[in-house]
Amino acid sequence: MSEKVFVLGGEQTDFQRNWTKEGKTFMSMMREVLDDALEKVGISYDEIKRLNKENRVAVFVGNFDAEQYANQGHLGAFLTEVNPALYGVPGARYEAACASGSVALDAAITHIRAEDYDLAIVLGVEVMKTVSSSVGGDFLGTAAYYDKEAKGVQFPFPKLFGKLADVILERYELKEERFMDALAEISRINYANAKRNPKAQTRTWFMNKEHAMARGGDNNMAVGGRLCITDCSQVTDGAAVTILASKDYTKEYAKKTGRKVDDIPRVKGWGHRVAPITFEAKKQESVGDKYILPWTRQTVKDAYKRADLDVKHIDVFETHDCFTSSEYAAISAFGISEPGKEHIAIEEGTIDFGGKKPINPSGGLIGVGHPVGASGVRMMLDLYKQVTNTAGDYQVKGAKNGLMLNIGGSATTNFVFILGK
Amino acid sequence: MREIKTVTILGANGAMGSGSAGVIAAFGGAKVHMLARDVEKAKQGIEAAVASVKTDTIRARMIPGSYDADLEKAVAESDWVFELVAESYEVKEPINTRIAKARRPGTIVSTVSSGLSIGRLAKAYDEDGQKHYYGTHFFNPPYKMILCELVTHSGNDKKVTQALGEYLDKVLGRAVVYTNDTPAFAGNRIGFQLMNEVAHFAEKYADKGGIALMDEIMSGYTGRAMGPLATADFVGLDVHKAIVDNIYDNTKDEAHETFKLPGYFQKLIDAGKLGMKSGGGLTKVVKHADGKREKFVYNIKTGEYDPYPKFDIPFIKEARQKIKDSDYKGAMDIVKNASGFEAEIARYFISRYISYSLSLVGEVVDTKENTDGAMGFGFNWVPASAFVDFLGGPKETIKMMEQSKIPVPKLLKDAKEGKKFYELGDKLDARSLFKG
Repeated sequence: MSEKVFVLGGEQTDFQRNWTKEGKTFMSMMREVLDDALEKVGISYDEIKRLNKENRVAVFVGNFDAEQYANQGHLGAFLTEVNPALYGVPGARYEAACASGSVALDAAITHIRAEDYDLAIVLGVEVMKTVSSSVGGDFLGTAAYYDKEAKGVQFPFPKLFGKLADVILERYELKEERFMDALAEISRINYANAKRNPKAQTRTWFMNKEHAMARGGDNNMAVGGRLCITDCSQVTDGAAVTILASKDYTKEYAKKTGRKVDDIPRVKGWGHRVAPITFEAKKQESVGDKYILPWTRQTVKDAYKRADLDVKHIDVFETHDCFTSSEYAAISAFGISEPGKEHIAIEEGTIDFGGKKPINPSGGLIGVGHPVGASGVRMMLDLYKQVTNTAGDYQVKGAKNGLMLNIGGSATTNFVFILGK
Repeated sequence: MREIKTVTILGANGAMGSGSAGVIAAFGGAKVHMLARDVEKAKQGIEAAVASVKTDTIRARMIPGSYDADLEKAVAESDWVFELVAESYEVKEPINTRIAKARRPGTIVSTVSSGLSIGRLAKAYDEDGQKHYYGTHFFNPPYKMILCELVTHSGNDKKVTQALGEYLDKVLGRAVVYTNDTPAFAGNRIGFQLMNEVAHFAEKYADKGGIALMDEIMSGYTGRAMGPLATADFVGLDVHKAIVDNIYDNTKDEAHETFKLPGYFQKLIDAGKLGMKSGGGLTKVVKHADGKREKFVYNIKTGEYDPYPKFDIPFIKEARQKIKDSDYKGAMDIVKNASGFEAEIARYFISRYISYSLSLVGEVVDTKENTDGAMGFGFNWVPASAFVDFLGGPKETIKMMEQSKIPVPKLLKDAKEGKKFYELGDKLDARSLFKG
């Protein structure tokens, strides 16, 4: 498949923005990000019109919950509001909780592999600051099994990922102090990386290891068992676009823009697995397994197999650090460490910006912010930047292959993509 | 420049002192001597600093002290002395004399003054002290407002300036704008020009809607979250007066007359009606017995407070809708083409703001990116250069300026058509500053 789907680039909004305060909506966000992405990639609306006449272009919108946050469904049709050039272009909305961006990417990749379309515009979008954090927390509960895990629970997701931290600690018989130190280090790294990213939500926020370690009290409250505010990503408003293309179109594009096809990255592999939806069922199923999230590990293995690559070939990772515990578990799922030894990789600086296997040079969800339906698309955009050496101040030197892991629910829907040249 | 490990804050109990100390202790990881008139006030400053950056981790490295008992000892062991005492030569100069005697060679000393002459304040120091003396104009509240105007004077050393700028930027996370030692520096000179001239227009059109009308014309669609007169009411009319008087007395530029304080501002100040901080000024909010709040606005003609009016100005409505839809150029097209005196006023002030911002390049700052940064990061106003792009480029902007009888700055005359005029886009998305 590595010769079939190419990534031409894209753009994201500034995740620091609060669109409600600006008096703007999800719609204005879609308009800005698509205009910006097309300008950046160098594709005009006239070009889209041309491709549409031949039924060669489609749009894929990733969004989790516009119905509740913005009182609006049917987002797949909304790109027609951005520009009339998109009238008639096939488009639909894709939803898989926090992996909504990835399920949209997956659909786009599949259509291009099947040679249905030559150009796919993937747009992830979520407006979340329309409601208070407690109301938003309840909305997010629908990404779990609402009746069993979220109904009447304040901030259900920190609690679910707090339970993951508990299981990691018990299953691997870790010393609590060392484990919590490792989680704090994950926070520190993500915030520090975000400082280099001009589109990151937290780029002006204060955070250091000392603060991440100071759990409890008013300034770093416990929100989910052992996890405190500094262990959490925070929701935000945001949108991201990546533009995918077939090999034929990529050749045309490369010629027009004076680039070489070999310099344009390809989707080399993918994985998609769904684990049992409740956290309790996941926990029970994994008893006796080396991995606490075996389906997450399997998703990574599937992607490696399809790409014919292994962890040794991956130079940069973008992972779903909705909480420090999810990034912790991802380290072994990627194969960077053995399960139960993740803390050693963290202590040795392996996943730090200058380490051997940097994770989230962008800042990840903790640093960049987590507009739920946009996160997967943003991760793909960040892999694109890394492997094309265009990530600016957060560029990992010499990155050739990148891997992203985007999860929906409590590691329920797992998506992995590998991008490289 | 010496590594900054220990800092002394003078004026630790004020909002700016405690907020700046919080930033320095948190981002800079520095030990901070918090000095105030007495130790109790300094302790209050420490708690305010902790609350401002929301981290208890800094409390242990903040040491309370008083000017009388601790100044010399604290200064002697500091790498940076940041003075934030009251805004007057009479207060600052004697303190500088004491700092000058106690400081070690190489120690940075800076002031947060928003308008006093840095060169004059530097005179309290020996040659090494003058070399290391700066204005570091933080904005309130410092954790949220990341602008720092780094004000230099003729006695500074360029290498020290560069190193201090890098520290403020990379370590403390400030958006650093380099300005020359001119009255009110960049941000306040531009911001208060607009605010004060709008205040004059409110008087001129007092019978048409006065204060409320002017803020409506200059509302969010013109690139600011708060109207200019609401901003004056927020900062306080006394502070406003101090800034515009200083600029009026010490500058002579094309906008000189616009810095005269309007008579009704003085009247309100004399009556103790200083703005929101004193419960009323240009506007006031009354809480009724049923808990409902009602906003009133000062009637310049009658001296009474009238209920705050609502306006229905069609072009503003249309422009707001365009902004809401993220069609910024569409909104500016509406402003450019609308008829009626409200639209003329909007065009006049947008022109004035762009013209005045760009005209200060060369005198107050070296590049337009510095004035753009000052307005974007310090006031949350759409920077002048970004406006030029939204208006359709230099030619279109010049056309509007000429129609509004506003001088066209050379920088704009010389600008190339078809090329983006705004160059801070990667640091500050100007679109986020328009409000629909």
